[in-house]
Amino acid sequence: MEPDDFALMDGIRNDREGAFETLVRRYQRRLYRLACGYLRNHEDALDAVQETLVRIYVARGSYRPDAHPFTWAARILGNHCIDLIRHRRIRPVVPLEAASDRPDGPAPLRLLSPEESPLERQERRELGQKIEEAISTLPATQREIFMLRHFGEMRLEEIAASRGCALGTVKSSLHRATRAIRDYLSRCDPPVTSGTGEGERT
Amino acid sequence: MRRGAGRGCRAAQRALPPRYYGALSAGEEATLARHLSSCAGCAKEWEALRRVLDAAGPANVFPRESEVDWEVFARAVVARARAAASREAITPGAVVGRRRFLPNPNAAAGLWAGLAAAALVIATLWTLSPTLRRRDGGDGSPRPPERLTAESARASAREIEDRLARRSAARYLSDSRALLMSLVQAPARCRKPGGGLDMSLEAERSRQLLRRKNLYEGDLDSLRDQRLAGLLRQLEPVLMQVASLQDCAPAGQIRELRDQIEQRQFLLHIDLVTRDLQRRLNVV
Repeated sequence: MEPDDFALMDGIRNDREGAFETLVRRYQRRLYRLACGYLRNHEDALDAVQETLVRIYVARGSYRPDAHPFTWAARILGNHCIDLIRHRRIRPVVPLEAASDRPDGPAPLRLLSPEESPLERQERRELGQKIEEAISTLPATQREIFMLRHFGEMRLEEIAASRGCALGTVKSSLHRATRAIRDYLSRCDPPVTSGTGEGERT
Repeated sequence: MRRGAGRGCRAAQRALPPRYYGALSAGEEATLARHLSSCAGCAKEWEALRRVLDAAGPANVFPRESEVDWEVFARAVVARARAAASREAITPGAVVGRRRFLPNPNAAAGLWAGLAAAALVIATLWTLSPTLRRRDGGDGSPRPPERLTAESARASAREIEDRLARRSAARYLSDSRALLMSLVQAPARCRKPGGGLDMSLEAERSRQLLRRKNLYEGDLDSLRDQRLAGLLRQLEPVLMQVASLQDCAPAGQIRELRDQIEQRQFLLHIDLVTRDLQRRLNVV
């Protein structure tokens, strides 16, 4: 049976063999998604994840089990990303096609399809960009709570504990965030939420 | 929230996000399911929310996540974390230095050179010192004398140099690949008047890569790997083109570069050669 995160963190603090490797494999993708939410750049996000995991290992002795290890990791990552944003130039990216001098209209946006052609892949990429834009328009608190739940896969109770707020506050922020994302996408041309495809939970 | 929705609808709609994330208790879930089966408006809201959140899956929002070899990434992180922790143990309070994926090439070169020197010193001591040669085996019986000659020490040093060269080549290729991917997939719009694409970072990274290659050139030649040499030869002019781009490059110029990268299947070739180098590094 896989050890839970607290047992894993205990193993890391006691230099148990393989504990840190397991934690890295367990957290790296979740942290990458959170870092992308802050930095919106693939390479910067990878750097931030690496730096966060190194800091976790170096500071493993200072970890106190009153916070969930992922909450602790997400906090270290968040602080690091905020530092990066303050001190480095972070560039918003555009797809190459969108930078075309020709007035090509945007491709229509659709939801997931089981068999994907190059055109559908391109549409999916554009859909991803629209969703990213929608997330970036959220107020900071809502964005962070949405990112922690949706991409960090943290439980609502853990998010409440990590932010020192009530569970109800987390729920209402999440409600507002998802509603705002939905509204943003429905204002797109064509509206994303009007698709008829039945998406599958990823 | 829909206009005119009653208190039941408001409560139901607040419960939709927690339902999506599986955060409702069994009782709450049953109450909500009953409401959705009797309220077409809320059922429609639920479907719309579910579609949007499904579409906001990592594969759509972070398409480049699948490009990362997470196993290699994890190994690099663990190695760097251990090195940082050792440095921290020697000099407590030292700031953890930030660096990409693998350690600084100069630092790595220094480390390997140090290891090679240490290997030579140990080999010499072994050959000269009879007490070392007479050391007992683990079971208490005298271990047969091993002859670690100057020749075998040279072979070890060569092997270390080869590993260093392969590691440098793999790093150079993976960094070049990341640069080409960023050029192909995610250029940034230039903020200066006149438009174009902001290529300042890509041009600078290209210049750094070319400088790094010049530094490694002799080491890479020593590998006598025709496939690697061919790829490096083809890659160099592309990096030079990127390095010479203006800070605000016309989109047409970037499209030409992208076509060139795609037609010559650079990304695929880099992948194949890098994997081969990494495989050999793991085997040796």
